[in-house]
Amino acid sequence: MNRTLRNVVSTGLFWVILAIIFVYLVFPFYWAINSSLKTEAQLQMTPATMVPVHPNRGTLAPTLANYRAVLGNLTFARGLANSLIVAVSVTVISLVLGAFAGFAIGKLRFRGKTVSMYLILAMTMFPQVTVLAGLYAVITQFNLSAVPGMILSYLIFTLPFTAWVLSSFFRGLPSSLMQAAQVDGATPFQTFSKILLPLTTPALVTTGLLSFIAAWNEYLFALTFTSIEPSARTVPVVISLFTGEIARQEPFGEIMAATVLVTLPLIILVLIFQNQIIAGLTAGAVKG
Amino acid sequence: MKTTKVMMFLLIGLLVLSGVSAAAEPVNITVATGAVGQELEISREAAARYMELNPNVKITVLDTPDMVQDRLGLYLQFFEAKSPEVDVYQVDVIWPGDLAEHFVDLYEYGAKEVAEQHFPEIVENNTVDGKLVAIPWFTDAGLLYYRTDLLSEYGLEPPTTWEELETAAKKVQAGERAKGNEDFWGYVWQGNAYEGLTCDALEWLASNDGGSIIEFDGTISVNNPRAVEILEQAAGWVGTISPPGVIGFAEEDARAMFQGGNALFMRNWPYCYSLGNGPDSAIAGKFDVSPLPAGASGKGAATLGGWQLSVSKYSKNPEVAADVALFFASYEEQKARAIQASMNPTIMSLYQDPEVLKASPFMGSLYDVFINAVARPSTVSAPRYNEVSTLFFNAVHSVLTKKSTAADALEELELDLQDLTGLQAR
Amino acid sequence: MERQARSRRPSLAEREERLAYLLLLPTFLVILLIAIYPLGKVFHSSLTNQRFASGEQVEFVGLGNYKILLGLTIKELPPTIDEQTGKPERNPETNQIEYVRPIQVLPRQPVRYRELGQFSLLGKRYVIGASDRDFILAIGNTLVFTIASVFLETVLGLIIALVMNSKFKLRGAMRAVMLIPWAIPTVVSARMWQWMLAPTRVGIINVLLQKLEIGNGQIPFLRTDAWALPAIIAVDVWKTTPFMALLLLAGLQLIPQDIYEAAEVDGAGKVRQFWSITMLLLKPTLAVALIFRTLDALRVFDVFQVLLAQTRYSMATYNYYQLIGNREMGLSSAIGVIIFLFIFVFATMYIRLLGVESDE
Repeated sequence: MNRTLRNVVSTGLFWVILAIIFVYLVFPFYWAINSSLKTEAQLQMTPATMVPVHPNRGTLAPTLANYRAVLGNLTFARGLANSLIVAVSVTVISLVLGAFAGFAIGKLRFRGKTVSMYLILAMTMFPQVTVLAGLYAVITQFNLSAVPGMILSYLIFTLPFTAWVLSSFFRGLPSSLMQAAQVDGATPFQTFSKILLPLTTPALVTTGLLSFIAAWNEYLFALTFTSIEPSARTVPVVISLFTGEIARQEPFGEIMAATVLVTLPLIILVLIFQNQIIAGLTAGAVKG
Repeated sequence: MKTTKVMMFLLIGLLVLSGVSAAAEPVNITVATGAVGQELEISREAAARYMELNPNVKITVLDTPDMVQDRLGLYLQFFEAKSPEVDVYQVDVIWPGDLAEHFVDLYEYGAKEVAEQHFPEIVENNTVDGKLVAIPWFTDAGLLYYRTDLLSEYGLEPPTTWEELETAAKKVQAGERAKGNEDFWGYVWQGNAYEGLTCDALEWLASNDGGSIIEFDGTISVNNPRAVEILEQAAGWVGTISPPGVIGFAEEDARAMFQGGNALFMRNWPYCYSLGNGPDSAIAGKFDVSPLPAGASGKGAATLGGWQLSVSKYSKNPEVAADVALFFASYEEQKARAIQASMNPTIMSLYQDPEVLKASPFMGSLYDVFINAVARPSTVSAPRYNEVSTLFFNAVHSVLTKKSTAADALEELELDLQDLTGLQAR
Repeated sequence: MERQARSRRPSLAEREERLAYLLLLPTFLVILLIAIYPLGKVFHSSLTNQRFASGEQVEFVGLGNYKILLGLTIKELPPTIDEQTGKPERNPETNQIEYVRPIQVLPRQPVRYRELGQFSLLGKRYVIGASDRDFILAIGNTLVFTIASVFLETVLGLIIALVMNSKFKLRGAMRAVMLIPWAIPTVVSARMWQWMLAPTRVGIINVLLQKLEIGNGQIPFLRTDAWALPAIIAVDVWKTTPFMALLLLAGLQLIPQDIYEAAEVDGAGKVRQFWSITMLLLKPTLAVALIFRTLDALRVFDVFQVLLAQTRYSMATYNYYQLIGNREMGLSSAIGVIIFLFIFVFATMYIRLLGVESDE
């Protein structure tokens, strides 16, 4: 009796905590959706309403006008395309280079390993704003246009991270695998590409996704490097520079609609990969 | 057969002679202008009209960030690279002094004849060391928006002094709240710590004969009793006739409140006029504009805003670029902008043009506001205007948030401005 | 077996070393190009008075920029003396001694010092002056932000991770939901929160707080001293707790279930199990997560830039403001170098504490 009561209480408590967590995490996003379905007049209503209602009649009155405006906006579509190109390229490049470096550090013996490790670790902590001016100079020096410029500069935060996570992952793989392959006459590189790399798939998925999201969400570099080339703007910059029909007007409903639209692909990605993300982190990053 | 061939040769010869450009590569001119829907549209139309008249020129309209600070950042990057990519720049009224070194003198490209048609205050603002670095394009000035329905309901007239504004605001605010609208406020304006507050506060100072921070002759005038007086008065509005949140308001926050029907008065730029009368607005047809009120010892003043066109020194075709800039800023083009987008012309005679007045009636009645608008001390403090403005709005903000008294804040500001600019106080 | 392989092919170690260098080469080239070289450039310009996009002559100013940024001074504030009595003046209401205003004692040449704060010690009154008050305040803001947000994220992240680690219906869906805040671009989520935190009742937070009888629906969160930093911290906690929870969840899954079963058999209670098993085994994960978050928080840019703009700076937004707003490339480079040093110190501290394994 006592025991079942305790069970009921603790289960109840569990679900209450769960509900609080759920509301806390989701409510702001709900608010973005709610705002995206309001007209300007509805956004200006006081007190703010939990759903879009008609200003005078008080009946439910959501509008899709903001979504129509955003989807019909070529700049936004271009922004999506740019973001996709940049984020995918950054992810692929950092996975390839990061796997090389991670393998070298995690599995090979060479002089200067500690220095290399510290250097890569130090880079994961590099403050972006510090190098903004210097990086801009590099990009102009090489005459890079904005998209390759962004791809190159985003590596500053994706590559060291990827290399570091993958190196601890490689280290965790049993050395006997490698030795067996070497006995069979495989070169170290063959061992790496044929035997070890396929085993790192979960870590590749995780670090790839993390890189993708980091690149997709980056703002400071994108703002600076694309200002000279508006056609190369990525989505965060496009949204933050959204303008209305008239100078100074800020189409807030459209900004919120765009927010919802940009976030959806990421939520879908996360939904698909959430198990792998956790598996990848379990094996990699957390080992330090 | 033969004649046609001869004709052809003749034609080709004529073409070659008539303009090197026609046979040669067309001249490409890039104009960097506002990115905003309507504004961009009108610029594109103007470009099309120019290209029709000058078929050898191809104009590309480059849209730039709407946020003023971002746009400046963009321009700086072009200048840093001495890039010939953009020929004509749309320039804020506070930039000519700062950016003068990158622009050509338009007086050398035929602006002599047209300069005097424009508002003299703007031309003076755009003149650096005797060179006209930018041709005025359209102007902006702070206005007082008021609710006609509420004023007449409470038997009030549009205020001409801050005193009257306070009285009216208190009365209507109390009345509307008693009626059940607890979100109603008397007066909304721009109190956030940003360039907009510099504009608002400059209007307060000027309206009370408190100078314009740094005068045209280079004396720092900001620390004076009339400036102290009006700042203390404005600080008194926060939380009484203006919402406590006004210290975080920018233009759009003020508009949201006013257009949502929750404010009696608003200080804002002319752009709110057409939006306020839009189909989506709660106050369509229920408001009007007037000049900003006067202080105890002065007359009402508006801060000068607006945009100019400048030609880059790094342009490959400065002559053509200057011609394009002058065309964009010409009588006909300014008229089109005024009618289509109610953007205020800088050419004085347009304020008597019947078609313009029909489209935007307030332009006629507020001509005095626009011609008397007060310029921010950007040219005299160049290239440090941004820091001057930041110091000024931070000082004012500290008074509004009651962190400092107006006397202390202005005394300190005076010292700061001296250190920064090397100019002397009065 | 290893020895055998080596003795058969003595060049294997060399080949391995060569391969390692070859594999590391592209990464180090990239690092050289986009981190070390620009850092060198920034370091160099931090010693000059260079202005962005200006034809002005660039001069070498040594450590001048650093002196301006970090200049601090303490001066005694003498009491104001009544000219007639020759005694210190007292405030008629509170009877406290009145002191001269800081502006009169703080140095003005060659750079001006502004009041940072005052304190009393041994019956005397002192004022602290800073030659770049905004930057010193920015350091303070950044540190408070970092400590508070990392602490809250850790606690909340741990709670969420523990909940997500237990078995319940809809767990998969909840785990995806958990990651929503993290998936939204920071700058966009900052705009979202700015809207929610609006200073009138168009902002939902004001509406909700008013319902709870806190404030009258007119709280200017982002422009009131008492609210501004807490608000920013709340936004950041919302945004980054999921990442923390994710890392910790991964750590929790590494803990073998049978340890708990053994503890159960030994009669250890749930609380005891939590502290002596969960927390103990989670420690390395927690440490790594802390490093990531701390160093990330120290360079915070987006939330400060969008929500506080020029009213309060973090170190990074002050850097950006000096570079883009004021075009003070030299000064902003010096700020960048200082941020770099800050992070470097924190990073070495953490690495020392944790001891990175390097099997060499």
